[in-house]
Amino acid sequence: MKTDYYGLPVLKRPHWQWEIALYFWTGGIAAGTYLVAAIADLFGDEHDRPTVRAGRLLPLPLVLVSAALLIKDLGRPEKFYNMLRIFKLKSPMSAGAWGLFAFGGFAGLSALLEAVAAADNLRLLRRLVGLAGAPFGLFLGGYTGVLIAATAIPLWAGNRLLWGPTFIASAFSTGVAAIEAALALSGRGNRETLGKLDRVHRLSLTTEAALLAAGLARLGPSGRPLTRGRWSSLFVPGALGVGLLLPLLLGLLPRRREPSSGSTLLRAACVLLGGLLLRTCVVYAGKDSADDPHAYFALTRRGRR
Amino acid sequence: MITDAQRPVGFFTDSSLCIGCKACEVACKEWNQLPADGYEFLATSYDNTRSLSGTTWRHVAFVEAPGAGAPGAQQTWLMLSDVCKHCEHAGCLQACPTGAIVRTEFNTVYIQQDVCNGCGYCVPACPYGVVDLSPVDHQAHKCTLCYDRQRGGLEPACAKACPTDSIQFGYLDELQAHARQRLEELRQRGVGAARLYGLDEGAAKDERGEGTLGSLFLLLDEPERYNLPARVELPQNTVVPSSVLTAAAGLLLWIGAAIAFGRKW
Repeated sequence: MKTDYYGLPVLKRPHWQWEIALYFWTGGIAAGTYLVAAIADLFGDEHDRPTVRAGRLLPLPLVLVSAALLIKDLGRPEKFYNMLRIFKLKSPMSAGAWGLFAFGGFAGLSALLEAVAAADNLRLLRRLVGLAGAPFGLFLGGYTGVLIAATAIPLWAGNRLLWGPTFIASAFSTGVAAIEAALALSGRGNRETLGKLDRVHRLSLTTEAALLAAGLARLGPSGRPLTRGRWSSLFVPGALGVGLLLPLLLGLLPRRREPSSGSTLLRAACVLLGGLLLRTCVVYAGKDSADDPHAYFALTRRGRR
Repeated sequence: MITDAQRPVGFFTDSSLCIGCKACEVACKEWNQLPADGYEFLATSYDNTRSLSGTTWRHVAFVEAPGAGAPGAQQTWLMLSDVCKHCEHAGCLQACPTGAIVRTEFNTVYIQQDVCNGCGYCVPACPYGVVDLSPVDHQAHKCTLCYDRQRGGLEPACAKACPTDSIQFGYLDELQAHARQRLEELRQRGVGAARLYGLDEGAAKDERGEGTLGSLFLLLDEPERYNLPARVELPQNTVVPSSVLTAAAGLLLWIGAAIAFGRKW
């Protein structure tokens, strides 16, 4: 018989609700779109202009929504400013608050430059801003994974090394998807830039799928809240099936000369939905995982290495 | 930081002396003016408190243990008054983004209620499941080691109320020495299962594998029987390796995307 205390939870459930899951998603997309725009501007050509434009305009509204979600989630939203009272590198929550704040500045600057100087006269400045904000974009896309890893929750701590990389890969894939969706909806896409986005898409989706597979293998029984529990019916067909497998399979189909906006939009929608389901399932299954004393005892008995 | 004038204080909770009267739970609630939690009949033991929470800072666990504890006994009640561990390396304190959670001049871990904004990150960051958001004010709460009483030179309410001295309050170095001595005494009497929790076993360890607890416990069975984790690593030990890998993954994706877009470089 397993030793426990009447099966009662050892840990306290994190109180985080849908706001945090949604923020993990919007923050990731903001980071991904910013990074793809910066890359397209630095390394691309004139065909990539629509991609750069979309990726410069999208992060700002997403950051504003993210900040609103984070504040709403607080137990005492009116005291949100205490987050900016200290800076603590060892606390991903503190670093994250500052990181979002700093990234928000770059997102605003990018959007402003894009709005006021559509012509190429400020090209160098725009590229510099894109490059300077890129580290903050990388941070915003990945720190949420580090944040959940640095807890005692078995589902999160049991895969502590890979949640961050998984989330940054998902930030890239959802960022590309958001730009693709914007191009398809506005009709501004062209074959060249959509082809490049497609390559980034396959790279980030493949990376994400591999990291998730490795993570689930590492978690073993601690991963059950994701793979067997009540969130599995969303996670397996949703996050894995619709979000990863389906877009990867769609990418394998022979492409017509002119990419149809319908198929681009479909795949983008799949990836965006998948990213949302991934964050939602990881957050909520993590809460369930806090209730399982045996998963926690197994984690502490084996040590985390 | 510990000031020179102050020696670190703490608890030593000796479960071999606990009679399960719950005077500590009541004294804590009274002194700290904590609200009642309602009444839920768990039908598992004499424990209907269930666990520590934002409004319950001492919790007496009751374990019905056939054959455990005293040698030759057929049935033994293991009772333990659980409390915040006031860790040397505290997960909640390191996680706190507002600086609301601080180390006091008495070496205890304390939540400044005027600063806490209820972000809740300390909750999953506590490896012992101690700190929680209160349903009353939605801020994080836990044992303060009666900070206000410390300031007045008084021992914490729970230790004061404990009729058997199962809960002992004092200077941490003295408590540690006393705990070791008590363990030795019990072992000599044949209580082979007795063990200390919070010196080596059970203490939250930093990256170097060091750390002790400000709340020591003497247990009469495996920690898990009392819902305590046996080996605890500080959650924040993850931050550096996890961040490095995340940055590496991000850089690789950046390079991959640059190649996908690139004609230059």
